[in-house]
Amino acid sequence: MIRRALIPFTVLMLVTGGLRADEIDGSLRLAAERIAVSTCATCHGPRGHSIAPKFPVLAGQHANYLLAQLQAFKAQTRGDPDALGYMWGMAAPLDDTTMAALADYYGRQRPEAGQRGDPALTARGQQIYQQGDATAGIPPCGACHGPHADGTGMYPRLAGQHVEYLMKQLRSFQSNLRNVAIMHGIAQVLPVHDMLAVATYLQSLGP
Amino acid sequence: MLNIRRARTAAALVAMFMALIGSKAHAVPSFARQTGMACEACHTVFPELTHFGRMFKANGYTLDNLKQVRDINSQKEDLLLLSTLAPLSAMVQLSETWLNQPLPDVTDHGAHSQTSTTGFPQQLSLFYAGKIAPHLGAMIQITYDNASGSIGMDNTDVRFAKNLLLPEDRSLIYGISLNNNPTVQDLWNSTPAWGFPYASSNAVVSPIAAAQIDGTLAQDVAGLTAYLMWNESLYGEAGVYHSAKQGATNAITGAAGPLDGTTSNVIDGASPYARIAYERQWRRHDLEIGAYGASFRLYPGGTASAPAPLTGPVNRFSDIAEDLQYQFIGERDLFSLQATHIHESMQLDASYSSGVAINPSDDLNTTRITGTYYFRRKYGVTFGHFATSGSGDADLYPAAPAPGVITSANGRPDTHGWIGELNYLPWLNVKLSLQYVAYGEFNGGSTNYDGFGRNASANNTTYALLWLAF
Repeated sequence: MIRRALIPFTVLMLVTGGLRADEIDGSLRLAAERIAVSTCATCHGPRGHSIAPKFPVLAGQHANYLLAQLQAFKAQTRGDPDALGYMWGMAAPLDDTTMAALADYYGRQRPEAGQRGDPALTARGQQIYQQGDATAGIPPCGACHGPHADGTGMYPRLAGQHVEYLMKQLRSFQSNLRNVAIMHGIAQVLPVHDMLAVATYLQSLGP
Repeated sequence: MLNIRRARTAAALVAMFMALIGSKAHAVPSFARQTGMACEACHTVFPELTHFGRMFKANGYTLDNLKQVRDINSQKEDLLLLSTLAPLSAMVQLSETWLNQPLPDVTDHGAHSQTSTTGFPQQLSLFYAGKIAPHLGAMIQITYDNASGSIGMDNTDVRFAKNLLLPEDRSLIYGISLNNNPTVQDLWNSTPAWGFPYASSNAVVSPIAAAQIDGTLAQDVAGLTAYLMWNESLYGEAGVYHSAKQGATNAITGAAGPLDGTTSNVIDGASPYARIAYERQWRRHDLEIGAYGASFRLYPGGTASAPAPLTGPVNRFSDIAEDLQYQFIGERDLFSLQATHIHESMQLDASYSSGVAINPSDDLNTTRITGTYYFRRKYGVTFGHFATSGSGDADLYPAAPAPGVITSANGRPDTHGWIGELNYLPWLNVKLSLQYVAYGEFNGGSTNYDGFGRNASANNTTYALLWLAF
């Protein structure tokens, strides 16, 4: 289903991965929408609202971040287990233009309301997210991901993300299966119960 | 004498069929090669499908992430999009079967067969499974089976599918399937062709009765069905089946047909098939409920040595079934439950008039329920219950004049029992299984079911399997 044939040849001439939103024309948008609905939605849900927590919510995610992840899947440099099992294959035939259009599609989708979890865990998670834990050497997550966890630039939106997915990523950072230096350092010192607290808090956040 | 002969022929055919369906299961690594995705994307543990696997199938097996050989015309229309790697794969099943009690040895009254059988291989299959062209894909299986000692056509599903973008980013998949086994084209593991047990011994004593839609016509028919799937949740399908016998030769032409009275159970014209299902996902859970059915008009026909013309009255089999599947797919724990109930109404005008059935009409009910747990997709355990019951018919389910095990002394089809299985997968494409089948009732009796002293438990079976898919 993911085929270059879906993309008009004129657009295929664009080879940079850094397409601006105004460079993605109507036909490319429609092509990306077709791919998203017919293929990506099977795991990532309608309009990026994933149902199964194994797969991340993509609605409202920053296009720059999504594009970087798709490029990392294609280059096989992102190495967490589901990246290998699912996304290396999925991203293989995508060119930069298609990836940019897909990232743009999901970036334009409206996030849904968060899901509340255990109040005590949520409160602890909020504390870590907003203030960090100086004694444990944990910086506030909001310093990069924004005060409302809606992300900034290359730092992904985390609000409304599944607890299970966030936990899996934190563990992948911890073990360096997913090799991101900043997050590896933080996940090394973040105890599991605090990981769960932060993830529970993040899942509770809405748009 | 004629009745007995026909009845024994029917019993022998049932036995041959059951031996064939004993080796029905499949796993197709060429799909993984084509998509670049690991087995776990499409399977919980092969061959049970996940939601993604079902959508991959519904979309015609065409998701292809390989480099393509391509051709276009001057209008820039695609003339060819061919994967550089052919979607080929193979499967080998090596097995050992132990029967609880040996079978009578037909060469000498009082002697017995061996109790164990080695299948080396029990089955070896080659697959073309994947994209053929844009929107067109197939799973075509050719199998060597040690019971026949020959190579033959196995399950096949060729399908064309497209995906329509609906308002509000909903999808509608529509497609056509050409296949050779009613329900082989189905997406869920609660229907017969892909239901548990996914592999079983072909060196066992199988029950005398099975509904037509429950594999009886597998690989002997050709079906053309059309389907719709709305928003990856509501599924509807309708089509027809026509006889497509394998190994049949017309005595006059010496060619593959037309079929005549030397062939048994031939469909009169085309038989309708229908399916409806609804699937709902929430978090890690996935629930499907559905119904399926078919109505077959069959000429009993005959064999080369005892032909019977394909004219006159027919036997009508109306099969209506319900099914249910639940899956929980966690990172560590996976659980699934499948259940189906098939009700078959038989209007046996042909068999009744020729004395092969005592009753002009009979019925048969089959129920199966199976629960499976896997730990990290590595260690698995399955328990299941199966039961078949129906109206008694001493000619349709005959007693044997001499010791024979696929018979019924009281003319009843009733069989029930339990099945348990342990699985270990060192890798996702290698499965080691140990299975036990225990019968509480067999062909109408728990004791002396054949009239020659054989009990149902004598047919209990232990089955060890090494299943390689590559």
